[in-house]
Amino acid sequence: MSTLEVKDLHVSVVDDDDEAKGQEILKGVNLKMSTGEIHAIMGPNGTGKSTLSQAIMGNSAYKVTQGDVLLDGKSILDMPVDERARAGLFLAMQYPAEIAGVTNIEFMRAAINARRDENDQIPVMEFMKKLDDKQAILDMTDEMSERYLNEGFSGGEKKRNEILQLLMIEPKFAILDEIDSGLDIDALKVVSRGVNSMRGDNFGSLIITHYQRLLNYIIPDQVHVMMDGRIVKSGGPDLAKKLEDEGYAGLRDDLGLDVKLTDEI
Amino acid sequence: MRPSIKDDFMDDTIAFSKNHEEPLWFQKMREEALSHASELELPVFEKINYRGWRLDRPKDPFATATRDNNFDVPDTDNLLIQNGDQTLTNKLDPKLSEQGVIFTDIWTAMKEYPKLVQKYLLSTSIKPTDNRLVALNLALMNGGAFLYVPKNVKVDSSIQSIYLQDNNQKKDYVHHVLVVADQGSEVTYLENFLSQGDSADNIANIVVEVVACANSRVHFSALDQFGEHVSTYINRHGYVGDNARLDWAIGLMNDNQVVGDFGTDLRGEGSHSEAKVVAITTGEQVSGIDTKITNYGQHSIGHILQHGVILQSSSLTFNGVGHIVKGARGSDAQQESRVLMLSRTARGDANPILLIDENDVTAGHAASVGRVNEEQMYYLMSRGIDKPTAQRLVIRGFLSSVITEIPEKEVRVRLTNMIERKLINGQQK
Repeated sequence: MSTLEVKDLHVSVVDDDDEAKGQEILKGVNLKMSTGEIHAIMGPNGTGKSTLSQAIMGNSAYKVTQGDVLLDGKSILDMPVDERARAGLFLAMQYPAEIAGVTNIEFMRAAINARRDENDQIPVMEFMKKLDDKQAILDMTDEMSERYLNEGFSGGEKKRNEILQLLMIEPKFAILDEIDSGLDIDALKVVSRGVNSMRGDNFGSLIITHYQRLLNYIIPDQVHVMMDGRIVKSGGPDLAKKLEDEGYAGLRDDLGLDVKLTDEI
Repeated sequence: MRPSIKDDFMDDTIAFSKNHEEPLWFQKMREEALSHASELELPVFEKINYRGWRLDRPKDPFATATRDNNFDVPDTDNLLIQNGDQTLTNKLDPKLSEQGVIFTDIWTAMKEYPKLVQKYLLSTSIKPTDNRLVALNLALMNGGAFLYVPKNVKVDSSIQSIYLQDNNQKKDYVHHVLVVADQGSEVTYLENFLSQGDSADNIANIVVEVVACANSRVHFSALDQFGEHVSTYINRHGYVGDNARLDWAIGLMNDNQVVGDFGTDLRGEGSHSEAKVVAITTGEQVSGIDTKITNYGQHSIGHILQHGVILQSSSLTFNGVGHIVKGARGSDAQQESRVLMLSRTARGDANPILLIDENDVTAGHAASVGRVNEEQMYYLMSRGIDKPTAQRLVIRGFLSSVITEIPEKEVRVRLTNMIERKLINGQQK
């Protein structure tokens, strides 16, 4: 079993012009999860959900000013992004980059081989077999894997492609950053099927979403609500349903928080 | 006063010419060029100062080349391998010979096909008076090749050459290639300049002429791999006749200082040229590349696409020139030059120049000098790919818009492998 722990995490957005001026987005996040568990983070716009995912992955645009992120008890803050990935983290991105001239297939092989010894690279047949299996789960065709990485993909295709990478790479922990945004109901089911196929003792996932809908298909073990850079409430799957009924403002008022929601009129 | 080039080399030139049993007309061409070389201007490369490279001050052009063969021989039926004035391999599919295709060293060509060579050599595409370095190329030529495809002959398989440039000893390299595609013919030609050894500092002066006669179609690919110890002037120039098409795919994978002059004259009505150039520079290398297409013929089309990657403290300048002369109605001149800089000390320049002297035309240009896309790097690394590998993938993506346009798969594969090797070497330095 592996663990991922976020301890009193404070994160600012890096300001290119003046480092001291970075705006603090996360103001002390605490979260602990183990493989075998699915956690969901919900919250209104602008509360730092994506910042949390980027900070865990190590995006240099975000600066950790206090606190720690631990994988199996060891801090990963000094690790560059690629090392964190090889240690077992995966981030399905909201806006995946497009790279012309590099095919999906060759990219995924490079990603898998980066985790293996130079003298033990994945045999082509084994790779293709695995790719076929995973594509089938996601209703994807070879044609998509042969295309250039995300280039000209629709929003839905990009999301599907993120999940395909997840299934191919098989990380310990996957953070899914709004993987449901821009998906119609059929695509949502397909993507959920992909994530559910990963469920098991050796896999944990942190699912970031605005809407409860996704959680009808991927049932979480725990739900956390974030507001203003902190987790303000945690609970079981029922918490998500309650939120859907009452909205974030209702929860805020219940908790007696003095937080201005971005989209509040 | 310094003794002139003429005084320095006239005796040696005549001796070399006689020794190679050259026809008298060619010997006279050499003498004429040598006599007047110093009166001609040096070619100008915008923003590049190559005065210190001694390109106009050759030293030992007529020394005997040593043999040091260390290269991969491609598996093909039509191949010429030359080490200076020595021909190591020369073969041509007999079916092509029967159809009249000629592919041989320049001396054999002058002896066996004097009329053809005399008709096209420095008469159509390039003139000996174009500039001082072209004149010196003619005067001091110490190696060369001739490819001729007769009227209406379509060559299916590619014709390939490897030209070895020797730095095992002091010997300046002066090479001349003449490619003629006669009316209605089709040919794919691939040349590979490759340096050998690193114990002497030399210069290389290379002139490659391509004549694409009316209704012909020529795919010209070049893979240049000059080593650190040579300074290179390379002039590739094409003439394109009525409704003919000449496409260039040039990969500059050099380790040295290079000035490259790649020009195409669209003389014919409805003539067409696509010029694609890819360059990677490393170390302290300085490279200046001028790619120019001139539309003379009506309804002619000239497109230039150049992409370069600059590592370490090297510098790369792409000048793209699209020139439409008065009267070339209905012509099109487009160009795109982009360079990517991988280090703070790299220097890059992309200068688009459009010279339009006719109203009824279309023309456009794009140019950029940029750095590696951080978002792409982050994405690749977030999947566990290490930084150097991620960088190479991003660069390959950047160069792919040129590479995927190269029609011959073999050239694409070789170029891609060369790029990978050059990048790995550059990253390790």
